Amino acid sequence: MKTVICLLLLAVMGIACSSEPAITTEMLDGGTLFDPSIYKPESYLVSKAIPNPTPDQAKKPVIIACHGYSATTFEWDEFRAWANGPTDFYLSQVLLGGHGRSYDDFKKSTWHDWQAAIMEEYDRLVKSGYTNISLLGSSTSGALLLELVSSGYFANRLAPRTILLVDPIVVPSDKSLSLVGLVGPMLGYFETQQSVSEDKVFFHFRPQETLQQLQNVLTIVRKDLEKGITLPSGCTMKVYKSKKDSSADPVSAVLIDQGTKTADGSPIAVELIDSELHVYTRLNLRDQITVKDRQNQTATFTDIVRQVLR
Amino acid sequence: MRKKCLLAALLTWVTISKTIGQPPIHPPAGAVLDVGIRFQKSISFYTENGITAQYAHPKLVSKRLFLGLSYITSRLGTAFQSNAIKQDNFLVSAGYYFRPNWVVRPMARLNVGYFAAHYANPLFDELPKTSPLASPEFGLCYCPDVPLKINASIGYNLLTGNGVTGPGTLYPVFVQTSVTWNILKNSKN
Repeated sequence: MKTVICLLLLAVMGIACSSEPAITTEMLDGGTLFDPSIYKPESYLVSKAIPNPTPDQAKKPVIIACHGYSATTFEWDEFRAWANGPTDFYLSQVLLGGHGRSYDDFKKSTWHDWQAAIMEEYDRLVKSGYTNISLLGSSTSGALLLELVSSGYFANRLAPRTILLVDPIVVPSDKSLSLVGLVGPMLGYFETQQSVSEDKVFFHFRPQETLQQLQNVLTIVRKDLEKGITLPSGCTMKVYKSKKDSSADPVSAVLIDQGTKTADGSPIAVELIDSELHVYTRLNLRDQITVKDRQNQTATFTDIVRQVLR
Repeated sequence: MRKKCLLAALLTWVTISKTIGQPPIHPPAGAVLDVGIRFQKSISFYTENGITAQYAHPKLVSKRLFLGLSYITSRLGTAFQSNAIKQDNFLVSAGYYFRPNWVVRPMARLNVGYFAAHYANPLFDELPKTSPLASPEFGLCYCPDVPLKINASIGYNLLTGNGVTGPGTLYPVFVQTSVTWNILKNSKN
Protein backbone atom coordinates (compact mmCIF):
# COMPACT_ATOMS: atom_id res chain seq x y z
CA MET A 1 0.00 0.00 0.00
CA LYS A 2 2.81 2.37 0.93
CA THR A 3 4.49 1.70 -2.42
CA VAL A 4 1.29 2.53 -4.29
CA ILE A 5 0.91 5.79 -2.37
CA CYS A 6 4.56 6.68 -3.06
CA LEU A 7 4.12 5.97 -6.77
CA LEU A 8 0.95 8.04 -6.88
CA LEU A 9 2.71 10.91 -5.15
CA LEU A 10 5.60 10.70 -7.59
CA ALA A 11 3.16 10.68 -10.51
CA VAL A 12 1.35 13.75 -9.17
CA MET A 13 4.66 15.53 -8.61
CA GLY A 14 5.79 14.54 -12.08
CA ILE A 15 2.66 15.96 -13.66
CA ALA A 16 2.90 19.07 -11.52
CA CYS A 17 6.53 19.69 -12.36
CA SER A 18 6.17 18.76 -15.99
CA SER A 19 6.00 21.06 -18.51
CA GLU A 20 6.55 23.27 -21.28
CA PRO A 21 3.49 25.15 -22.44
CA ALA A 22 1.82 24.25 -25.72
CA ILE A 23 2.83 27.40 -27.57
CA THR A 24 1.79 27.86 -31.19
CA THR A 25 3.14 30.25 -33.81
CA GLU A 26 -0.22 32.02 -33.69
CA MET A 27 0.61 33.27 -30.22
CA LEU A 28 2.77 36.18 -29.14
CA ASP A 29 4.58 33.63 -26.98
CA GLY A 30 5.76 31.71 -30.06
CA GLY A 31 8.71 33.86 -31.10
CA THR A 32 7.32 34.54 -34.57
CA LEU A 33 4.92 37.38 -33.77
CA PHE A 34 6.54 40.47 -32.30
CA ASP A 35 5.32 43.76 -31.00
CA PRO A 36 5.34 46.21 -33.96
CA SER A 37 7.37 48.75 -31.98
CA ILE A 38 10.35 46.42 -32.36
CA TYR A 39 10.22 46.75 -36.15
CA LYS A 40 9.29 50.43 -36.30
CA PRO A 41 10.34 52.15 -33.09
CA GLU A 42 9.99 55.57 -34.73
CA SER A 43 6.23 54.96 -35.01
CA TYR A 44 5.94 54.38 -31.27
CA LEU A 45 8.71 56.30 -29.53
CA VAL A 46 8.99 60.08 -29.74
CA SER A 47 12.70 59.87 -28.96
CA LYS A 48 13.17 57.86 -32.14
CA ALA A 49 10.71 59.81 -34.30
CA ILE A 50 12.00 63.28 -33.35
CA PRO A 51 15.43 62.80 -31.79
CA ASN A 52 16.43 66.44 -32.45
CA PRO A 53 13.35 68.56 -31.68
CA THR A 54 13.09 72.24 -32.49
CA PRO A 55 12.64 74.55 -29.49
CA ASP A 56 8.87 74.56 -30.08
CA GLN A 57 8.73 70.79 -30.41
CA ALA A 58 10.80 70.37 -27.25
CA LYS A 59 8.22 72.37 -25.29
CA LYS A 60 5.31 70.28 -26.49
CA PRO A 61 4.02 67.81 -23.87
CA VAL A 62 5.07 64.20 -24.33
CA ILE A 63 3.12 61.34 -22.77
CA ILE A 64 5.03 58.13 -22.19
CA ALA A 65 2.37 55.41 -22.17
CA CYS A 66 3.34 52.10 -20.55
CA HIS A 67 1.38 48.87 -20.67
CA GLY A 68 0.74 46.15 -18.12
CA TYR A 69 2.16 42.73 -17.30
CA SER A 70 2.11 40.32 -20.27
CA ALA A 71 0.67 43.00 -22.58
CA THR A 72 2.22 45.02 -25.40
CA THR A 73 2.06 48.52 -26.90
CA PHE A 74 -1.34 47.41 -28.20
CA GLU A 75 -2.80 48.40 -24.84
CA TRP A 76 -2.47 52.10 -25.68
CA ASP A 77 -3.17 51.92 -29.45
CA GLU A 78 -6.72 53.16 -28.91
CA PHE A 79 -5.44 56.25 -27.15
CA ARG A 80 -3.22 56.99 -30.14
CA ALA A 81 -6.14 56.38 -32.52
CA TRP A 82 -8.44 58.56 -30.41
CA ALA A 83 -5.90 61.40 -30.46
CA ASN A 84 -5.24 60.93 -34.17
CA GLY A 85 -4.46 64.02 -36.22
CA PRO A 86 -3.02 67.31 -35.08
CA THR A 87 -2.68 67.10 -31.34
CA ASP A 88 -1.31 69.23 -28.58
CA PHE A 89 0.95 66.47 -27.37
CA TYR A 90 3.23 63.67 -28.50
CA LEU A 91 2.61 60.06 -27.51
CA SER A 92 5.43 57.62 -26.82
CA GLN A 93 4.28 54.00 -26.47
CA VAL A 94 6.91 52.04 -24.59
CA LEU A 95 7.26 48.27 -24.85
CA LEU A 96 8.29 46.99 -21.42
CA GLY A 97 11.50 44.97 -21.28
CA GLY A 98 11.05 41.22 -21.76
CA HIS A 99 7.63 41.78 -23.36
CA GLY A 100 6.38 41.47 -26.92
CA ARG A 101 9.00 38.99 -28.12
CA SER A 102 8.70 35.38 -26.98
CA TYR A 103 7.82 33.20 -24.00
CA ASP A 104 11.51 32.48 -23.38
CA ASP A 105 12.47 36.16 -23.39
CA PHE A 106 9.59 36.89 -21.06
CA LYS A 107 10.53 34.03 -18.74
CA LYS A 108 14.08 35.34 -18.37
CA SER A 109 13.07 38.91 -17.63
CA THR A 110 12.88 40.61 -14.25
CA TRP A 111 10.74 43.54 -13.16
CA HIS A 112 13.87 45.68 -13.40
CA ASP A 113 14.02 44.77 -17.11
CA TRP A 114 10.37 45.70 -17.54
CA GLN A 115 10.98 49.06 -15.89
CA ALA A 116 14.26 49.77 -17.73
CA ALA A 117 12.43 50.42 -21.01
CA ILE A 118 10.51 53.29 -19.37
CA MET A 119 13.67 54.82 -17.96
CA GLU A 120 15.45 54.52 -21.32
CA GLU A 121 12.73 56.42 -23.15
CA TYR A 122 12.51 59.03 -20.40
CA ASP A 123 16.28 59.58 -20.44
CA ARG A 124 16.39 59.78 -24.24
CA LEU A 125 13.64 62.41 -24.25
CA VAL A 126 15.33 64.47 -21.54
CA LYS A 127 18.65 64.22 -23.35
CA SER A 128 16.98 65.35 -26.58
CA GLY A 129 15.74 68.45 -24.80
CA TYR A 130 12.07 67.71 -24.15
CA THR A 131 10.94 69.66 -21.11
CA ASN A 132 7.33 68.62 -20.55
CA ILE A 133 7.08 64.88 -20.03
CA SER A 134 4.20 62.99 -18.41
CA LEU A 135 3.89 59.33 -17.58
CA LEU A 136 0.83 57.19 -18.21
CA GLY A 137 0.80 53.63 -16.88
CA SER A 138 -1.74 50.85 -16.86
CA SER A 139 -1.88 47.96 -14.41
CA THR A 140 1.65 46.74 -13.58
CA SER A 141 3.16 49.87 -15.07
CA GLY A 142 1.41 51.70 -12.25
CA ALA A 143 3.55 49.78 -9.78
CA LEU A 144 6.67 50.28 -11.92
CA LEU A 145 6.12 54.05 -12.04
CA LEU A 146 5.46 54.27 -8.30
CA GLU A 147 8.68 52.35 -7.68
CA LEU A 148 10.49 54.73 -10.01
CA VAL A 149 9.36 57.66 -7.86
CA SER A 150 10.05 56.01 -4.51
CA SER A 151 13.52 54.86 -5.60
CA GLY A 152 14.53 58.48 -6.17
CA TYR A 153 14.98 58.11 -9.92
CA PHE A 154 13.68 61.64 -10.51
CA ALA A 155 15.74 63.23 -7.74
CA ASN A 156 18.44 64.50 -10.08
CA ARG A 157 16.41 64.62 -13.27
CA LEU A 158 13.70 66.69 -14.85
CA ALA A 159 10.54 65.81 -12.92
CA PRO A 160 7.57 64.48 -14.87
CA ARG A 161 4.70 66.98 -15.19
CA THR A 162 2.11 64.44 -14.13
CA ILE A 163 1.79 60.70 -13.53
CA LEU A 164 -1.49 59.10 -14.56
CA LEU A 165 -2.32 55.55 -13.55
CA VAL A 166 -5.13 53.50 -15.09
CA ASP A 167 -6.12 50.47 -13.00
CA PRO A 168 -2.76 50.33 -11.24
CA ILE A 169 -2.05 47.15 -9.34
CA VAL A 170 -0.61 47.00 -5.85
CA VAL A 171 -2.90 44.29 -4.52
CA PRO A 172 -3.81 41.52 -6.97
CA SER A 173 -7.43 40.43 -7.16
CA ASP A 174 -6.34 36.82 -7.45
CA LYS A 175 -4.86 36.32 -4.01
CA SER A 176 -3.21 33.06 -5.06
CA LEU A 177 -0.42 35.27 -6.42
CA SER A 178 0.67 35.60 -2.79
CA LEU A 179 1.55 31.89 -2.89
CA VAL A 180 3.34 31.88 -6.24
CA GLY A 181 6.73 31.45 -4.57
CA LEU A 182 5.49 28.13 -3.18
CA VAL A 183 3.25 26.70 -5.88
CA GLY A 184 4.82 28.41 -8.89
CA PRO A 185 7.86 26.14 -9.20
CA MET A 186 5.55 23.09 -9.07
CA LEU A 187 3.33 24.36 -11.85
CA GLY A 188 5.87 26.05 -14.12
CA TYR A 189 3.47 28.41 -15.84
CA PHE A 190 -0.11 29.64 -15.80
CA GLU A 191 -2.44 29.78 -18.78
CA THR A 192 -4.82 32.65 -19.43
CA GLN A 193 -8.22 32.38 -21.02
CA GLN A 194 -8.30 34.83 -23.88
CA SER A 195 -9.36 34.96 -27.51
CA VAL A 196 -7.20 33.93 -30.45
CA SER A 197 -6.95 37.60 -31.42
CA GLU A 198 -5.78 38.56 -27.95
CA ASP A 199 -3.18 35.78 -28.11
CA LYS A 200 -1.36 37.88 -30.71
CA VAL A 201 -0.95 40.92 -28.49
CA PHE A 202 -0.96 39.46 -24.97
CA PHE A 203 1.09 36.50 -23.77
CA HIS A 204 -1.08 33.40 -23.50
CA PHE A 205 1.21 31.68 -21.00
CA ARG A 206 2.60 33.29 -17.90
CA PRO A 207 5.88 31.78 -16.65
CA GLN A 208 5.84 31.40 -12.90
CA GLU A 209 9.19 33.19 -12.78
CA THR A 210 7.56 36.35 -14.11
CA LEU A 211 4.68 36.02 -11.66
CA GLN A 212 7.23 35.87 -8.87
CA GLN A 213 8.79 39.02 -10.30
CA LEU A 214 5.36 40.62 -10.32
CA GLN A 215 4.76 39.61 -6.71
CA ASN A 216 8.21 41.01 -5.79
CA VAL A 217 7.61 44.43 -7.27
CA LEU A 218 4.10 44.62 -5.80
CA THR A 219 5.50 43.85 -2.34
CA ILE A 220 8.18 46.51 -2.73
CA VAL A 221 5.68 49.12 -3.83
CA ARG A 222 3.20 48.21 -1.08
CA LYS A 223 5.90 48.63 1.54
CA ASP A 224 7.04 51.91 -0.04
CA LEU A 225 3.46 53.16 0.13
CA GLU A 226 3.24 52.13 3.78
CA LYS A 227 6.26 54.33 4.49
CA GLY A 228 4.97 57.08 2.22
CA ILE A 229 5.89 58.15 -1.32
CA THR A 230 6.41 61.82 -2.10
CA LEU A 231 6.13 62.98 -5.68
CA PRO A 232 8.87 65.16 -7.17
CA SER A 233 8.36 68.90 -6.88
CA GLY A 234 5.85 70.18 -9.43
CA CYS A 235 4.55 66.70 -10.27
CA THR A 236 0.91 65.68 -9.83
CA MET A 237 -0.73 62.28 -9.89
CA LYS A 238 -4.15 60.93 -10.76
CA VAL A 239 -5.41 57.38 -10.40
CA TYR A 240 -8.31 56.03 -12.47
CA LYS A 241 -9.61 52.79 -10.99
CA SER A 242 -12.42 50.44 -11.98
CA LYS A 243 -14.73 49.80 -9.06
CA LYS A 244 -14.68 46.09 -9.86
CA ASP A 245 -11.60 44.51 -11.36
CA SER A 246 -10.70 40.83 -11.43
CA SER A 247 -6.99 41.56 -11.98
CA ALA A 248 -5.99 44.64 -9.95
CA ASP A 249 -8.00 44.78 -6.74
CA PRO A 250 -9.69 48.19 -6.37
CA VAL A 251 -8.16 48.42 -2.91
CA SER A 252 -4.91 49.18 -4.79
CA ALA A 253 -6.28 52.70 -5.28
CA VAL A 254 -6.84 52.99 -1.52
CA LEU A 255 -3.23 52.06 -0.83
CA ILE A 256 -1.92 54.53 -3.42
CA ASP A 257 -4.19 57.28 -2.12
CA GLN A 258 -3.14 56.72 1.50
CA GLY A 259 0.53 56.32 0.66
CA THR A 260 1.26 59.07 -1.88
CA LYS A 261 1.50 62.82 -1.46
CA THR A 262 2.65 65.64 -3.69
CA ALA A 263 5.82 67.53 -2.79
CA ASP A 264 3.79 70.17 -0.92
CA GLY A 265 1.94 67.47 1.07
CA SER A 266 -1.32 67.62 -0.90
CA PRO A 267 -3.27 64.43 -1.62
CA ILE A 268 -3.28 62.94 -5.10
CA ALA A 269 -6.42 62.74 -7.24
CA VAL A 270 -8.38 59.50 -7.52
CA GLU A 271 -11.41 58.72 -9.66
CA LEU A 272 -13.36 55.51 -9.27
CA ILE A 273 -14.77 54.34 -12.59
CA ASP A 274 -18.07 52.53 -12.85
CA SER A 275 -16.59 49.57 -14.71
CA GLU A 276 -15.83 45.89 -14.24
CA LEU A 277 -13.02 45.82 -16.82
CA HIS A 278 -9.33 45.69 -16.05
CA VAL A 279 -7.60 48.50 -17.96
CA TYR A 280 -11.00 49.74 -19.06
CA THR A 281 -9.33 52.12 -21.53
CA ARG A 282 -8.51 49.15 -23.76
CA LEU A 283 -11.70 47.96 -25.46
CA ASN A 284 -10.48 46.50 -28.74
CA LEU A 285 -10.63 42.68 -28.94
CA ARG A 286 -12.92 42.41 -25.93
CA ASP A 287 -15.93 40.13 -26.32
CA GLN A 288 -18.62 42.51 -25.17
CA ILE A 289 -18.45 46.25 -24.94
CA THR A 290 -21.25 48.40 -23.63
CA VAL A 291 -22.08 52.03 -24.35
CA LYS A 292 -20.97 52.76 -20.80
CA ASP A 293 -17.55 51.22 -21.54
CA ARG A 294 -17.13 53.54 -24.53
CA GLN A 295 -18.17 56.52 -22.44
CA ASN A 296 -15.68 55.59 -19.72
CA GLN A 297 -12.89 55.26 -22.27
CA THR A 298 -13.60 58.59 -23.96
CA ALA A 299 -14.03 60.41 -20.65
CA THR A 300 -10.72 59.10 -19.37
CA PHE A 301 -8.83 59.86 -22.58
CA THR A 302 -10.23 63.40 -22.46
CA ASP A 303 -9.26 63.79 -18.81
CA ILE A 304 -5.76 62.41 -19.43
CA VAL A 305 -5.18 65.07 -22.07
CA ARG A 306 -6.65 67.74 -19.78
CA GLN A 307 -4.29 66.68 -16.97
CA VAL A 308 -1.29 66.76 -19.28
CA LEU A 309 -2.08 70.10 -20.92
CA ARG A 310 -3.06 72.11 -17.87
CA MET B 1 16.35 37.63 6.84
CA ARG B 2 18.64 34.59 6.72
CA LYS B 3 19.68 35.22 10.33
CA LYS B 4 16.01 35.28 11.39
CA CYS B 5 15.36 31.99 9.61
CA LEU B 6 18.39 30.39 11.24
CA LEU B 7 17.31 31.67 14.65
CA ALA B 8 13.79 30.34 14.15
CA ALA B 9 15.14 26.95 13.05
CA LEU B 10 17.47 26.83 16.04
CA LEU B 11 14.71 27.70 18.50
CA THR B 12 12.45 25.09 16.94
CA TRP B 13 15.16 22.46 17.17
CA VAL B 14 15.97 23.35 20.80
CA THR B 15 12.27 23.26 21.71
CA ILE B 16 11.59 19.96 20.03
CA SER B 17 14.76 18.29 21.27
CA LYS B 18 14.01 19.37 24.83
CA THR B 19 10.38 18.36 24.79
CA ILE B 20 10.81 14.97 23.16
CA GLY B 21 12.89 13.83 26.08
CA GLN B 22 10.37 14.95 28.64
CA PRO B 23 8.08 12.55 30.41
CA PRO B 24 4.37 12.97 29.71
CA ILE B 25 2.71 15.68 31.75
CA HIS B 26 -0.59 15.38 33.50
CA PRO B 27 -3.33 17.77 32.56
CA PRO B 28 -4.82 19.83 35.40
CA ALA B 29 -7.98 18.72 37.05
CA GLY B 30 -9.79 22.06 36.91
CA ALA B 31 -10.87 24.46 34.20
CA VAL B 32 -8.31 26.29 32.08
CA LEU B 33 -8.51 29.89 30.97
CA ASP B 34 -5.57 30.82 28.73
CA VAL B 35 -5.12 34.53 28.10
CA GLY B 36 -2.40 36.02 25.96
CA ILE B 37 -1.24 37.65 22.79
CA ARG B 38 -1.56 36.52 19.21
CA PHE B 39 0.82 37.42 16.38
CA GLN B 40 -0.47 36.81 12.88
CA LYS B 41 1.04 37.32 9.43
CA SER B 42 -0.80 36.89 6.16
CA ILE B 43 1.51 35.37 3.58
CA SER B 44 2.78 38.19 1.33
CA PHE B 45 0.70 40.75 3.20
CA TYR B 46 0.10 42.39 6.56
CA THR B 47 1.16 41.53 10.07
CA GLU B 48 -1.75 41.77 12.50
CA ASN B 49 -1.42 41.31 16.24
CA GLY B 50 -3.79 41.31 19.16
CA ILE B 51 -5.17 39.45 22.14
CA THR B 52 -6.58 35.97 22.53
CA ALA B 53 -8.28 33.90 25.21
CA GLN B 54 -9.48 30.31 25.30
CA TYR B 55 -11.35 28.29 27.87
CA ALA B 56 -11.54 24.56 28.54
CA HIS B 57 -13.59 22.73 31.14
CA PRO B 58 -12.95 19.19 32.42
CA LYS B 59 -16.46 18.17 31.41
CA LEU B 60 -15.97 19.47 27.88
CA VAL B 61 -14.51 16.64 25.76
CA SER B 62 -11.97 15.72 28.44
CA LYS B 63 -10.51 19.21 28.26
CA ARG B 64 -9.33 18.72 24.73
CA LEU B 65 -11.83 21.21 23.40
CA PHE B 66 -11.06 24.91 23.86
CA LEU B 67 -13.51 27.69 23.08
CA GLY B 68 -11.82 30.98 22.33
CA LEU B 69 -12.09 34.64 21.44
CA SER B 70 -9.48 36.72 19.62
CA TYR B 71 -9.10 40.25 18.41
CA ILE B 72 -6.27 41.00 16.01
CA THR B 73 -5.63 44.16 14.10
CA SER B 74 -3.17 45.71 11.69
CA ARG B 75 -3.21 48.75 14.03
CA LEU B 76 -0.84 46.71 16.23
CA GLY B 77 1.04 45.40 13.22
CA THR B 78 1.79 46.74 9.77
CA ALA B 79 -0.50 49.78 10.12
CA PHE B 80 1.20 50.94 13.33
CA GLN B 81 2.58 54.38 12.45
CA SER B 82 2.36 53.67 8.72
CA ASN B 83 0.01 54.33 5.79
CA ALA B 84 -1.17 50.72 5.72
CA ILE B 85 -4.90 50.08 5.94
CA LYS B 86 -6.25 49.73 9.45
CA GLN B 87 -8.26 46.54 9.70
CA ASP B 88 -9.74 44.53 12.54
CA ASN B 89 -10.50 40.82 12.90
CA PHE B 90 -12.90 39.55 15.57
CA LEU B 91 -12.73 35.76 15.96
CA VAL B 92 -14.65 33.10 17.86
CA SER B 93 -12.94 29.75 17.77
CA ALA B 94 -13.23 26.12 18.71
CA GLY B 95 -9.88 24.34 19.10
CA TYR B 96 -9.21 20.68 19.63
CA TYR B 97 -5.93 19.58 21.24
CA PHE B 98 -4.83 16.04 20.49
CA ARG B 99 -2.60 14.05 22.85
CA PRO B 100 -3.37 16.05 26.01
CA ASN B 101 -0.53 14.35 27.92
CA TRP B 102 2.13 15.38 25.43
CA VAL B 103 4.28 18.44 25.85
CA VAL B 104 3.93 19.24 22.14
CA ARG B 105 0.32 18.69 21.12
CA PRO B 106 -1.08 18.73 17.61
CA MET B 107 -4.08 20.98 17.41
CA ALA B 108 -6.83 21.97 15.00
CA ARG B 109 -9.01 25.03 15.27
CA LEU B 110 -11.96 26.50 13.44
CA ASN B 111 -12.40 30.27 13.51
CA VAL B 112 -15.42 32.26 12.49
CA GLY B 113 -15.80 35.97 12.87
CA TYR B 114 -15.99 39.40 11.34
CA PHE B 115 -13.49 41.47 9.37
CA ALA B 116 -13.61 45.24 8.90
CA ALA B 117 -11.16 47.46 7.00
CA HIS B 118 -11.13 51.24 7.42
CA TYR B 119 -10.30 53.43 4.43
CA ALA B 120 -9.25 56.96 5.32
CA ASN B 121 -10.84 58.62 2.26
CA PRO B 122 -14.68 58.58 2.10
CA LEU B 123 -14.32 58.28 -1.69
CA PHE B 124 -13.73 54.57 -1.14
CA ASP B 125 -16.84 53.99 0.98
CA GLU B 126 -18.46 52.12 -1.90
CA LEU B 127 -15.68 49.51 -2.05
CA PRO B 128 -16.14 46.29 -0.05
CA LYS B 129 -14.60 46.62 3.40
CA THR B 130 -16.33 44.15 5.66
CA SER B 131 -16.64 40.40 5.48
CA PRO B 132 -17.49 37.36 7.56
CA LEU B 133 -14.45 35.28 8.45
CA ALA B 134 -14.10 31.51 8.38
CA SER B 135 -10.76 29.79 8.69
CA PRO B 136 -9.48 26.37 9.70
CA GLU B 137 -6.09 26.29 11.44
CA PHE B 138 -3.67 23.45 12.03
CA GLY B 139 -0.57 23.49 14.15
CA LEU B 140 1.27 22.54 17.28
CA CYS B 141 1.05 23.69 20.85
CA TYR B 142 4.01 23.66 23.20
CA CYS B 143 2.43 23.03 26.60
CA PRO B 144 5.09 22.58 29.30
CA ASP B 145 4.28 21.66 32.89
CA VAL B 146 3.61 25.29 33.78
CA PRO B 147 0.55 27.39 32.85
CA LEU B 148 2.26 28.58 29.64
CA LYS B 149 1.17 27.64 26.14
CA ILE B 150 2.92 28.56 22.91
CA ASN B 151 0.83 27.79 19.90
CA ALA B 152 1.96 28.01 16.28
CA SER B 153 -0.30 27.22 13.38
CA ILE B 154 -1.09 27.85 9.76
CA GLY B 155 -4.57 28.91 8.70
CA TYR B 156 -6.59 29.45 5.58
CA ASN B 157 -9.21 32.15 5.16
CA LEU B 158 -12.03 30.58 3.17
CA LEU B 159 -13.45 34.01 2.34
CA THR B 160 -11.14 36.58 0.71
CA GLY B 161 -11.38 39.57 -1.58
CA ASN B 162 -11.27 38.93 -5.33
CA GLY B 163 -11.52 42.41 -6.78
CA VAL B 164 -15.24 42.10 -7.31
CA THR B 165 -16.54 40.98 -3.93
CA GLY B 166 -14.92 41.00 -0.51
CA PRO B 167 -12.33 43.35 0.96
CA GLY B 168 -9.13 43.39 -1.08
CA THR B 169 -6.89 43.21 1.97
CA LEU B 170 -8.29 39.90 3.19
CA TYR B 171 -5.65 37.33 2.18
CA PRO B 172 -6.00 33.54 2.20
CA VAL B 173 -3.05 31.96 4.00
CA PHE B 174 -1.76 33.13 7.36
CA VAL B 175 0.56 31.89 10.05
CA GLN B 176 0.03 32.72 13.69
CA THR B 177 1.76 32.31 17.00
CA SER B 178 0.01 32.83 20.29
CA VAL B 179 1.56 32.93 23.73
CA THR B 180 -0.90 32.43 26.56
CA TRP B 181 -0.95 31.91 30.30
CA ASN B 182 -3.52 29.95 32.24
CA ILE B 183 -4.85 32.51 34.70
CA LEU B 184 -6.72 29.91 36.75
CA LYS B 185 -3.51 29.37 38.63
CA ASN B 186 -4.58 26.41 40.68
CA SER B 187 -4.33 24.31 37.59
CA LYS B 188 -1.69 23.68 34.95
CA ASN B 189 -2.07 22.94 31.29
